[in-house]
Amino acid sequence: MDPSRIAFHGTLAQLVDKVESGEMVPKLQASHAPPCKFWTAFQVLNGIRHMAPVIHGPKGCTYSVASSYKMRGCEYRGVPLEPTTCTAQDEADVIYGGEGKLLEAVKEADQRYHPDLIVILSCCCSGIVGDDVETVAETAAFQVQARVLALRSEGFGGDFRSGYEDAFRALMDLMEPRTEVMKGTVNIIGAREGPTYTEWTQDLDEIQRLVKGIGARINGVLCGGCTVEEIRRASSAEINASWCYDWGQKLGDLMEERFGVPYARTGQPYGPAATEEWIMGVAEPLGLERQARQFIAEESAAVADEVRTLQRCFQGKTTLIEISEFPGPIRALSLARMAEEFGAHPVVINLHPYTVKERLPSLKFLLSRGENPEVILTHGIFALGSFNASASTQEDVAMIASQYDNALYVGSPLRQPGVPQLNMTTMTGYPQYGYRGIRNMARLAESGLEHAARPRSRLFKRVLYGD
Amino acid sequence: MATERVTNAAAAARCHDPYLRCALYGAAQTALGVRGCCVLSHSPQGCFQLVDAAFGWQDADYTETLTLCTKLCEDEIVHGGEGVLARTILEARELDVRLMFVVTACGPEIVGDDIMAVCQDLQPEVEFPLVPILCAGFRGDQNRGIEIALEAMLEHLVPEEGGFRVPRSVCLVAPHANSNPTWMGDLAWVREVLAAMGATVVATLAHDTAPEDFEKVPMAEGCLVLSHDAGQGAADLLAERYGVEQWCRDLPLPIGFSNTASWLRELGRRLGAEAVAEGMIARGEATVVERCRRKGLEQSPLHRTPAAIVADATVGVPLLRFLAEDLEVVPTLVCLRSGQADAQAMLEREIASLGVSPTVIRDADVYAAKKALGEARPEMVFGSNVERHAVEELGIPFVFRIVNPLSRFRMVDRAYFGYEGMLNLIEVMRNDWLDRYRSRHRRYRARW
Repeated sequence: MDPSRIAFHGTLAQLVDKVESGEMVPKLQASHAPPCKFWTAFQVLNGIRHMAPVIHGPKGCTYSVASSYKMRGCEYRGVPLEPTTCTAQDEADVIYGGEGKLLEAVKEADQRYHPDLIVILSCCCSGIVGDDVETVAETAAFQVQARVLALRSEGFGGDFRSGYEDAFRALMDLMEPRTEVMKGTVNIIGAREGPTYTEWTQDLDEIQRLVKGIGARINGVLCGGCTVEEIRRASSAEINASWCYDWGQKLGDLMEERFGVPYARTGQPYGPAATEEWIMGVAEPLGLERQARQFIAEESAAVADEVRTLQRCFQGKTTLIEISEFPGPIRALSLARMAEEFGAHPVVINLHPYTVKERLPSLKFLLSRGENPEVILTHGIFALGSFNASASTQEDVAMIASQYDNALYVGSPLRQPGVPQLNMTTMTGYPQYGYRGIRNMARLAESGLEHAARPRSRLFKRVLYGD
Repeated sequence: MATERVTNAAAAARCHDPYLRCALYGAAQTALGVRGCCVLSHSPQGCFQLVDAAFGWQDADYTETLTLCTKLCEDEIVHGGEGVLARTILEARELDVRLMFVVTACGPEIVGDDIMAVCQDLQPEVEFPLVPILCAGFRGDQNRGIEIALEAMLEHLVPEEGGFRVPRSVCLVAPHANSNPTWMGDLAWVREVLAAMGATVVATLAHDTAPEDFEKVPMAEGCLVLSHDAGQGAADLLAERYGVEQWCRDLPLPIGFSNTASWLRELGRRLGAEAVAEGMIARGEATVVERCRRKGLEQSPLHRTPAAIVADATVGVPLLRFLAEDLEVVPTLVCLRSGQADAQAMLEREIASLGVSPTVIRDADVYAAKKALGEARPEMVFGSNVERHAVEELGIPFVFRIVNPLSRFRMVDRAYFGYEGMLNLIEVMRNDWLDRYRSRHRRYRARW
């Protein structure tokens, strides 16, 4: 392996140590910026029906999230377009403060849209000038019909992850105390507006199918299109389960601490073992083991051929799972586990130190369960300029693949390293979760092997790598 | 006939559901129109998403145009972000940068980062020119950002002395302030027209503009502002500093037979190419007529149908005449999301001259547009995907999606200007009409 291209080569545990000790600086280069805290907080809240956001900021922040999340979510999910409002802060508001205007805007939003919930989100401007959004929310709550929450979500105030977590935390204020437990009822937690690269409706649908398959009932998917009423009674569900341990973890921990709602701590249901684990993680606390065992047996039998296909495709291979475009870090680790289950040796490529820092609790959880795959970081992901990074990463991945006689590449078709590859991004390949996911992945893996020798097209080469 | 009602929607409201992004976005759009440039967003990482969106709007090529971000966090807001800005500019030396624009967001401007001073201090240390643009979101909407960026370009990149004047030359301004999602088609048509009239485009501010083109700006004889939403400030500066005269100023942009003919005639007069203009008009009109004869022009859904326009001024104002005059539609509502000061007067002139009496809403946001549509209850709306959603509960049958945001991908640039532009608009109407007309109900199962 060309050492000049490799920034790190070791295990996941070693990488986590290096990031924690500051030996690997968890910083994204200038050209690779995920959304800010405001964007991600909005993303969570946008998954609530009849919620009117009142963004205390300029128009740019507002139209941007409306266009990227609201409109896209509506088109993808087939739900109606609802408003994304703001105070349209201008220079005068920055100089004199805009609390009065904000209060009026909240009242106007209530009169115009009759929402179930109004959430005031602060932006950089209102955050820096010190507008007290919480007090405005408290005042407004007495003057409007809707419930009113405030969220400090200035873009500079935290990383993208803190936006998700703070939004989930704020939502707990809508939840009633846990009184009478709704037997056999589950909250699916950690969802956002969808679709994001990490959250596909088809995967959520499969999760819901698994829950229903064991005879349990779902209260709501928080916040994947849920209602305020579902949030209100979420504290009385018998258990919380996450569509992805990473995203649900914070809300699960907080609801456990505040309301005593147990949280099924399981990874993502990729492959037979993890799917069974996910199902039993929900079934056992609900006392539904028998139904669950029967469901697992039926579903497993139905995908037996596909499981054999996957075993044939993975057995004895080195599986290179490259994550910078997709499937993202946590799915990559879930895929690594699945690859191992099918007899492959997984190598995760380009788990960025930034993402390691942001996901430490989840990574430590996975490590505690013995998931500690080999990890390689290439210099490509640290290259400045997104095109430079992309072209360079292709060369890096091709170089790594050439080191193995039997490599199988799992990731995005943005790369084509010259070995059999499983395209994890094709729209027709979802869900990837659960038993339906096994079926889809078997199809994709088989196609990957069959067409391994096909070259990268001249068109793609020139578009993607500038060759 | 006088306008029944003109409302400024933005004036009264406290709660806005905007159609537009902020000044940072407009400035980034403009900067990204310069080929081979690097745009550094001195901002938290969320604002970088606006730069990304601007990148898309300019059809920038990611193999040659770079976007960077200082990713400001709490530390930089508390202690200032000049250090991280300086570091990022210096780091960019390892990249192939021909010109760097530094665009600033709300945070660093409020805390007082002196971006101008940082750029000035670092200029001797980097080989590429640094152009600071103070375009915080609170300074205004995206059209204001375009004006700010154009002014910065003229200030930093255009020489003070004009040099010699290139005969029959023109500088094109703000082609990107246009809600046609493939406005590059409009720009291409304008370029073709100018070439046919023997004119030279010395610079376009800005789309695929070579950095060296800025030096030629003062050599232009005239300038054409290709937007009714932004660019007037830059045209005024060009006139004031370099004596570059603005052409076609009071004319609606060339959408529809009459507007296109007036625009071409005026251009022909300026360039001494009257005969060429007349030839273009004759050939263009003949082409449209012939195409409509051969392929069919659907009249029944259009004839005297009450219609609403929800668009920016660039498309919305000239579209009015095309609809009323050429397509025999009855405009009952004109809802403009934006527009320069002159655009309102131009719209009033158009309304009076057409003898129609639509309700006019200025500075409309989504709520104002929806409310106006609810009151006017037109039978068709010329707008965007937003209106497609907004009218679902209003029972308005047709929404022709012509302006941004669209839910349809376009790989090929489609002009709305000129004669092919008319055909493009008719094509959109026909397809959206058919799409709406097609039944979604399956009454029996197929047997094949």
